[in-house]
Amino acid sequence: MITLLLISCFLCSHPVDEVKTTAVADTIYYSDSGYVKFTSEVPLHTFSGESDKLAGMIDFKENIIDFFVDLNTLETGNGKRDRDMLETLNADQHPFAEFSGEMEPITEVPLPGEKITVTASGTFIINGVSNELTLEGSLQNENDILILEASWDLSLADYNIEPPGILFYRVNDIQKLEIKVKLEPKSKSELDLQN
Amino acid sequence: MITLKNQYRSLLFVLSLAMFFCTTANAQLARERAQTNDTVDRLFWATTNIGISTVQNVDKNDLQSSIAHVFGLTNGGIDRFFGLDDGANTRLGLDYGITDNVSLGIGRMTFNKIVDIRSKYNLLRQTKSNSVPIDLAIKASIGINTTSGLGFEFGDRLSYFASAMIARKFDALSLQLTPMFAHFNTTSQVNPDQLVGLGLLMNYELNRRYALSAEYLPVIGDRFTSTYDAAAIALNIDTGGHIFQLFLASSQWHNEQFIMANNRDRFWKGDFRFGFNIHRVFGLGGSK
Repeated sequence: MITLLLISCFLCSHPVDEVKTTAVADTIYYSDSGYVKFTSEVPLHTFSGESDKLAGMIDFKENIIDFFVDLNTLETGNGKRDRDMLETLNADQHPFAEFSGEMEPITEVPLPGEKITVTASGTFIINGVSNELTLEGSLQNENDILILEASWDLSLADYNIEPPGILFYRVNDIQKLEIKVKLEPKSKSELDLQN
Repeated sequence: MITLKNQYRSLLFVLSLAMFFCTTANAQLARERAQTNDTVDRLFWATTNIGISTVQNVDKNDLQSSIAHVFGLTNGGIDRFFGLDDGANTRLGLDYGITDNVSLGIGRMTFNKIVDIRSKYNLLRQTKSNSVPIDLAIKASIGINTTSGLGFEFGDRLSYFASAMIARKFDALSLQLTPMFAHFNTTSQVNPDQLVGLGLLMNYELNRRYALSAEYLPVIGDRFTSTYDAAAIALNIDTGGHIFQLFLASSQWHNEQFIMANNRDRFWKGDFRFGFNIHRVFGLGGSK
């Protein structure tokens, strides 16, 4: 116990930053040009939509993870399909797909070149419907830029989205989502944050 | 030393846990729409308004099939079942999107067994930011009279058509101007070889499912004898997969050059015919 107290005193008598010389705890990592892709399947056919406008941040100090994408930036390579997709997603009323939550705390930033597994729990919202999700991904340090990658399956039914039909077929209820974001360190004052 | 290090790690872990439980996620990025130069969609609901082509084009790798019918004059009354007993001029057509801005199509109509080959090219698209205020497209087509036994050379059977389509959408209302030119390789001696017209089109969206549209096609300058400017009104229905256009039109012909050349009825005098167009788009691949 005495040892513990001594260590506590030691910790309190040193600036926190000094303890965390290899930690990321005080830094916000941000991007507004992340990549997101969804893959849809109908019998005998697969198509995907992509956007490079995924915006988001990880605030290690506050333990916040927050990402969103403007659905209108998704492109499938076909104009009519894009319009049908936006109508299906009700994007006029609900233009964003978003995930906000908390990271499972990490104490040290991955070393350059190192990749660690991270977990986040939070709320995913699309079509105005929210569900709780726990996502697992990877975080890699590449020259002080953190690369976050994750993928998961999304059920359209869980978000009250009716799968669009093509002739006699319907788009599969399960959509595969993938994200890859290069997050750069930012100070809070540089970001447009809201409570 | 090892013990101290372990305890240090333990404490750091405890502090991390405490931080995890004590902090609350109370801030997030402001949700701002991405800056995109989005184009205005659906100025018209189909590539043809009623009889005149619109700035709407077939998207890349899509195949649009169209079926168009125009029956006899409705003023035949119940005895002619309002024109439906008089037979229809039917046009079956396919248009394929080579790119999102260029399409190539072929069609065939009953009257004169005319086969038409056409292409449409969108040069400008109206943007939501108004950086481009209009849609601008051009269309060119060739009509081939395939009726047998006429004694015509192949060249005599041809007619040519070109038009520019200038359109703008104002909320629910879309308007289009279509100056057009047609040349016929063979006409009777009393008729000109060339016709010039100005198509006036409108579309008004009542909601996502229904829209009203109308068009008027005055011929400017010399015209074929006993012909009148064509007019038509339509109800557009978007069923989700098909666009239905139910209309009343003065002309029984399809394609602009033949409407200009052959409309012998006066819409404003009650000479109109029932007709309908059905458009269906099939996606042919195009995976990203």
